[in-house]
Amino acid sequence: MTAILDHQDAGPQDTGTRRSLMKRVLDGLSPSRLMVPGFLLFWSLLVIVPLVVIVLFSFLQVRQFRVVYEPTLATWISLIDSGRWMAVVRTLRVALTMTVIEFLLAFPFALWLAKGCRSKTVKAAVITLLTIPFFLDAASRIIVWRSILGTTGAINTALMSLGLVDQPVEWLLYSEFAVHFGLLGTYFPPMVFPIFMSIALIDDEFIQASGDLGASPAQTLFNVILPLALPGIVAGIVFTLVPLMAAFVEPQLLGGGFVDLLGNSVNSALQQLKYPTAAALSTLVVLLLGLCLVALIRVVHRRIDLAAMFVAMRR
Amino acid sequence: MTDGKIAKSDFDMSRRDFLSTVLSMSALGAAASVMPGISQEAWAAGQTVKGYGVTTAQLKDWSIMTKSTGLSIDYTPTNADIGVFMRDVMGNNLGQTHDIFIFDGGSEDILGPEGFFAEIDEKNPELTLWERTPDAWKRAAYLRANDKQYGVPVIGNGDCFGYFAAAIDANPNGMDEIPWTTFFEGEKVKGRVAIDRSWLQSMSETANFLKHHGRLDVEDPADLPADKARVVADYLVERKKAGHFRTIFSAFEEQVQLLSNKEVDMINCWEPATKEANNALGPNATIYAFTVEGYYLWGHGANVATAAMQRDNVANIYKLLNYFLGGEYRAYQAKERGYAGPNMDLGVQYAIDHGWSQADIDNLKWTDEKVKRKFQKPFYCKVVPENAAVMEEEWQRFLNA
Repeated sequence: MTAILDHQDAGPQDTGTRRSLMKRVLDGLSPSRLMVPGFLLFWSLLVIVPLVVIVLFSFLQVRQFRVVYEPTLATWISLIDSGRWMAVVRTLRVALTMTVIEFLLAFPFALWLAKGCRSKTVKAAVITLLTIPFFLDAASRIIVWRSILGTTGAINTALMSLGLVDQPVEWLLYSEFAVHFGLLGTYFPPMVFPIFMSIALIDDEFIQASGDLGASPAQTLFNVILPLALPGIVAGIVFTLVPLMAAFVEPQLLGGGFVDLLGNSVNSALQQLKYPTAAALSTLVVLLLGLCLVALIRVVHRRIDLAAMFVAMRR
Repeated sequence: MTDGKIAKSDFDMSRRDFLSTVLSMSALGAAASVMPGISQEAWAAGQTVKGYGVTTAQLKDWSIMTKSTGLSIDYTPTNADIGVFMRDVMGNNLGQTHDIFIFDGGSEDILGPEGFFAEIDEKNPELTLWERTPDAWKRAAYLRANDKQYGVPVIGNGDCFGYFAAAIDANPNGMDEIPWTTFFEGEKVKGRVAIDRSWLQSMSETANFLKHHGRLDVEDPADLPADKARVVADYLVERKKAGHFRTIFSAFEEQVQLLSNKEVDMINCWEPATKEANNALGPNATIYAFTVEGYYLWGHGANVATAAMQRDNVANIYKLLNYFLGGEYRAYQAKERGYAGPNMDLGVQYAIDHGWSQADIDNLKWTDEKVKRKFQKPFYCKVVPENAAVMEEEWQRFLNA
């Protein structure tokens, strides 16, 4: 009995000892001690080191399909001489334009889906429809537009049959319009989903309270919903802008060679085994993306603390 | 007692092992018999040759070859992209797993001396048709490097452009020579011309056109030094900005689609694309041209991997090389793709012996005449030009203009 009591007495103490031991172990794993250096080491090996290799490779050149391991600026100079730098500028322009277009379309759509659509069935159906692009191969999905947008395609045939035009509208295909059009469907879901999720997390009472306090719908949108949806908006922009910089299929199939983007230029270089050229172009992409993200963070940071934003989401 | 038990157990295990082995072998045999491209005879005889190369060198049905020779081929097709080919042969050391390579003649300029291609053994007993093969084919420069024979001719043609006769008021019988001037500058086809994204082909054809009309002084249109490549690119940029080109295409399927949809009136495509388009549009709807200025004359060569010569499959490899020189392969390549090659007379004889229709036989004769007619004009392609780097850079300037 005494032993049992002793044991019972000792129980909480032992548990306390075990807890304190576990706490000490967990403290040891706290971000400041192990996690941050460990993550930085892992990240460096996985991402930074290959990037450094790519940058170094851009200072080599290829002769007769063989890489010549002598440092040179020839590859970088050729980027200017060959006009490949124009592909970089064009890519950035198209990527930024498309990101803005996608945001303008996706935000109201996500707002409706998260707060406006009351039917669970409709909501589930819409979300399912949005995932369709992920199931289909991009080329198979995009090439269909050729037979729709071409001079003998469905749209031109309809326009001419209706007497709206005398000649086929040629800019519908093999133009920047066609490329933008093709990109629209591909990059809509990556913009919508994060925004939808962040808006869905906003407590309806906040919106209701805003209205009760006399705010107009516009004031509620700009002063309540937008700031609270900012994490999703930032994520949507990142998930849209970054892959857009490497868009390849749409410009290839719908641009008709007239809208040469970075992805196409890198591919062309790789086909000739010009790895240094591809490395130089990739370096430029990373630099540009870095600049864009820094600009985005600086703009957002002026309004709110990004880290605090995500903590708020967790709560 | 114990011995007896052990013995019974051993017997059981052996029986299970035996059954397992029998089932495995049966399954393997059954799998082999249904594997596409590998016949039971070839599987049993171990006569499969592994090939890697351009799609167009393939027979549409390799079982025809297996029936007549007992050989089987496991062929991995690739596009006509020299960079990819060089990467696979040099970088990925494909010779370790593949016996033969078939690509545009010219790759041996690098891969021969570098030791990736073996010299052709002209005295190999399986290469029975080598002697009767005309020098015009077998001694072509694009099969040799440093005075050594690295390739066996497979197919060849002169590439130019396909067109709709009505669009340029041309004779619909397709026998007239159409100038490249129409392709590059014809007012009737302005905005309705498609040009190949392959700089090797498009820059060379443009250079040959400019050279013919005295607008470019260059020795070899297929190998343009920096200043000449700049002139060619400048011209193409000017035509692009004038709105002459509808699209810059990159794949064979695109060629077919552009013609079949009548999206363009002229296109510097491959000849089989016009055949495929005519399957959809009707006979002679599109025509593959005879031209005034010349053609991008090419020939595919079959090369043997150096490593393959150390394996025990050399006889079959040479039997396959010999097949490429024979009548059956020639007849089917001409019928299916419109490509000619060496020993076309054997192709005609094959068609006669095998009861092909007179129309098919006439078509084979016509293919031979057609290619001979084309080969009288300049020029030959070069898949690894010395100035490849500057040509590609100038081509980028055209693409980005």
